[in-house]
Amino acid sequence: MSDRAPDDHTLQRLDPRVRTLWVAQSALAAALIGGGLFAVNRVLEVLPTPVPVGVGAAVLLVGGALAVLRYRAWGYEVRDDGIYLERGVVRQVRTVVPFVRIQHVDSSRGPVERLAGLATTVVYTAGSRGADVTVPGLTPVRADDLRERLKGLAIRSEGEDAV
Amino acid sequence: MSDGSSGQTEAGDAGVKPAPETAEQGDATPPVDEQPRALSPLSIPYRAVSRGASVAFTLLFLVVSGSSLLGGTVGQLAGVALVGLAVVAIVAYEVVYWRRYEYAVTTDTFDIRSGVFRRRNREIPVDRIQNVDITRNVVQRMLGVAEVDMETAGGGATEAAVRYVGFEEAKRLQRVLAARKRGADPTPEAADDDEPRGEVLFELAPRELGLVGLFSFDLRTPGVVVFLLYGLVTTRGAGMVPSVPGDGLTLVGLAVAAGALIVLFSWAAGGVAAVLNYYDFRLTRVDDELQYERGLLRRYDGSIPLDKVQTLTVLDDPLKRRFGYATLYVETAGYAPGGDDRGSQAAIPIADRERVLSLVAELEGATVEGLERPPKRVRRRYAARYLIALGVVVGALVAVERLLLSGLLWYAPLALLPVVPVAAHLKWRHRGYALAPDHVLTRNGVLRRRIKVVPYYRVQTVIDSRSLFQRRWSLATVTADTAGSLSLVGADAAAVDVDDRTAARLRETLSDRLYEALDDRIRERRIAPPGADGWRPERRGGVESGPESTPED
Repeated sequence: MSDRAPDDHTLQRLDPRVRTLWVAQSALAAALIGGGLFAVNRVLEVLPTPVPVGVGAAVLLVGGALAVLRYRAWGYEVRDDGIYLERGVVRQVRTVVPFVRIQHVDSSRGPVERLAGLATTVVYTAGSRGADVTVPGLTPVRADDLRERLKGLAIRSEGEDAV
Repeated sequence: MSDGSSGQTEAGDAGVKPAPETAEQGDATPPVDEQPRALSPLSIPYRAVSRGASVAFTLLFLVVSGSSLLGGTVGQLAGVALVGLAVVAIVAYEVVYWRRYEYAVTTDTFDIRSGVFRRRNREIPVDRIQNVDITRNVVQRMLGVAEVDMETAGGGATEAAVRYVGFEEAKRLQRVLAARKRGADPTPEAADDDEPRGEVLFELAPRELGLVGLFSFDLRTPGVVVFLLYGLVTTRGAGMVPSVPGDGLTLVGLAVAAGALIVLFSWAAGGVAAVLNYYDFRLTRVDDELQYERGLLRRYDGSIPLDKVQTLTVLDDPLKRRFGYATLYVETAGYAPGGDDRGSQAAIPIADRERVLSLVAELEGATVEGLERPPKRVRRRYAARYLIALGVVVGALVAVERLLLSGLLWYAPLALLPVVPVAAHLKWRHRGYALAPDHVLTRNGVLRRRIKVVPYYRVQTVIDSRSLFQRRWSLATVTADTAGSLSLVGADAAAVDVDDRTAARLRETLSDRLYEALDDRIRERRIAPPGADGWRPERRGGVESGPESTPED
């Protein structure tokens, strides 16, 4: 039990920057939808001008609210025998992945994530749902740390429990 | 040399396969069983014809049309020469393919060396082979050859496709691989034993074969038929179906007759297909393997190691329930999800319910009983759901009636109103879950009811999900994900719409039981050392993958 990090056994939150990122993403979507609608309307002139603006604002509002709620709903916990995740706004999903079932662990950083200084850890199992277990919004150090810790726990549980 | 040459086995295997004979013989020349073998010579003409036919036809077509363009005997001669060349090339290719293809069963791998232009050496660890399937169509049976397919858990495609060997050789491969998997070196007598060993678990009686035909009505078939007919009628042009003389009544009559014909036709087609598929079906248990045979025109011989079974599914529908029948599917991780229907090959197409359940007990040691239904409030949820669906349909019809077709009977679907509570009740009634000593059981579906039996040690992840609507009713769905293929039977093992507190408990219990089951299996193994009674331990890290594939880096 020596390689347990002090933050195990408590529900971990994602980095707050991911909330900003998600809000920014929904703002971008709102701008694209609203702007596109506005541009089309300028040519066709079927809708009164406030409508595209209103649509854009609505998308921003809903998207932003969802992003904030999504951030609040997200949490993960490294337990004794597995990793536990909870997430989802409309559909709340809680997943338990026993360490013996971990096939491999990735940490990855996309271009946007690199800009925001964030990283993602992906846990692969052999289950038919494949890479269902993705933890986004971690700092790169934390993502690497989580990956290493899960790897260690997976190997150890294999050594102790399997065959 | 043969020991550990693959580098794929775990340290534990050293104790599993003492195999003194192999050790002695293995150093100088490999024993007879392990020497590389070639495909059947008959595979040359068969492959040439089956693979060359389409090429030849295309060429022939080109030549015929080309010679008419060029005209005269010169064009015809050139054409004949071209076709001759193609035939020679195809035959030559197949001869070389045959000469350069060899396979061998070594102590712990199945090796294939093949390829004409691009050479490929493949070694498949015997432990990882999930299914060995032998298929023969009519022509292959006349020639006495068979194709052998081997599946492992990884990847989408079939890992080893041996095209083609003699049927006897195919059966030998199946036997030898099964024996190697158990860790026992097969004695020559045992390997060459032609007597069907093992106990017959199930044989499809002719009466049951008839039932399979009767019950295999597929609702999708009429849809396809209607679609095809529609395409035919519209492409043939309106001239084919001139205005039918007579009033609306005749039209309705015609439509009903056509519908009945289509249903009858698809029923008959489904029946014939099922009978061809399951003719002379037999399921045998040989040591720790299931073997099945089936098929009239195309004959299938397959094997499934019992320790690779992921889930068992008992499937029925209202008709089968009424007459006390059921279907059984055995799922392994070998087949690619969403592929063809191969995952169902080990299914028992139909049998008395009691017999199916006793088979489940025999194969997995599970009794299907004590399933707990969701809380009763779920019925109200389903009723509400159906009412909303009905309301949407009626609303749409009303809109259509107002805007397009006046006089449409928009209120007709309301006749379904009395059915709503019944349907809701039935849906609730046929749901359920149970935590048996070694398995989790789930039951879902009315028209296609599936009872899934999942051993705890097969659970991969546990997923507890609650939609917005489920939260309103304090309900949740707990899914036990396995590595089984989702191809045919569809949904995962899920306890749908259980109380949310039950769900939280289930989630934790499943994970705990997984570890308990794993511990139990280790203890069992320590008491009975592996290989002593022919029982071979299996690997655990998910779908039998060794530790070397587990960590990243």
